[in-house]
Amino acid sequence: MNFDDAVRLTEILLGFAFAQQSIEHFNRFADERRLFIPRFVLAILLMIGFQTTWVAILLFLLGLAMLCRFQGPYNGGSDRMSLLILFCLCLVYIAPTQRWQEMAFGYLALQLVFSYFFAGWVKIINPEWRSGRALCDVFQFSTYPASESLRQWSKSPRVLFVMAWGVMIFELIFPLLLLSHISLIIALIIAAIFHFANACLFGLNRFFWIWIAAYPSILWFQARFIMAG
Amino acid sequence: MRHILKLLLPAVIPSWRFFDVIAPSPRIQFVLLNSAIAPVDEKGEWREFRPRPAHLSFLQMLGRMFWNPERNESLFLVSCAERLLQQPTQHSEDEILKRIIAELKANHSGVTEATTHLQFRLLLVQRQDSRLQQHIVFHSRIQPLSVQDET
Repeated sequence: MNFDDAVRLTEILLGFAFAQQSIEHFNRFADERRLFIPRFVLAILLMIGFQTTWVAILLFLLGLAMLCRFQGPYNGGSDRMSLLILFCLCLVYIAPTQRWQEMAFGYLALQLVFSYFFAGWVKIINPEWRSGRALCDVFQFSTYPASESLRQWSKSPRVLFVMAWGVMIFELIFPLLLLSHISLIIALIIAAIFHFANACLFGLNRFFWIWIAAYPSILWFQARFIMAG
Repeated sequence: MRHILKLLLPAVIPSWRFFDVIAPSPRIQFVLLNSAIAPVDEKGEWREFRPRPAHLSFLQMLGRMFWNPERNESLFLVSCAERLLQQPTQHSEDEILKRIIAELKANHSGVTEATTHLQFRLLLVQRQDSRLQQHIVFHSRIQPLSVQDET
């Protein structure tokens, strides 16, 4: 994937993710509507590719206003990834040379790799994750399961042990999967399925859409720096 | 400016520590009151705010990929509850009170002419060895229900 196509695809996917998030706030409080209706309009403009530099800068400023309004992210990691992608896109637009543009977009690709690797690392150094206990706790008493019936999963420790190790191994080997194009494609499909499962089981739908929006950066990064090398 | 930077930096230089430790989990419960006096008995009619559904079909889960405002708001309220326990702020307390009141008014659930005030509390659920324990760790101020919301 070349640089321009990757940036354009990121704009489209990010615009879709922001539009989906924004609609959810349309019938909420007036002060939220004042933030999310303009965000929805800007997201559509980003998707259709209208004045993307200014639109991305305005979306970034709106993102800062949201951080102030909610005194932090509204939805933790997904909001942080949203701001990170926007931040990198803004840097791409204002960068003076192609080299600086690539560094800004490459930073996003590296952070995407880190988002899997470090998530795996902090789990595997925790004995409760290695024993499968931590995932049992997630289902047994955390606030994450989207329905009460899902709490029954905590009664299947062997299944959760296998799932915990599956997740940790996948997250830790993710950087190695950059070494070939086909392995990266398979890794991104597995990662998307993982986010989809999290959306179904824990109601974390925003993570699914926003992480997918960062995938073009890694596809470009691999073609530019790994396969070309 | 410093405050904005403090909020922005974790996004630009993230730590990506998802689910590293499964911490004790807060639950929000509320009680409707007939006056501005706190209930004497903790075993009063405390109700869980927005309990999760008993079951979700796969189709419902698919639908929530595109339309999931209640769940996302509940996750935000969990963040507010965690902030209240770590570093209490008026903002977090206000957000929880505001959203409970808005939901009660929208659903007309349990609100009669006699109920004039509301209080919420936070319950912390954690595992001690193999048993689950819960402790009450926070009580909000008592809030009049008549407070103007912005819906």
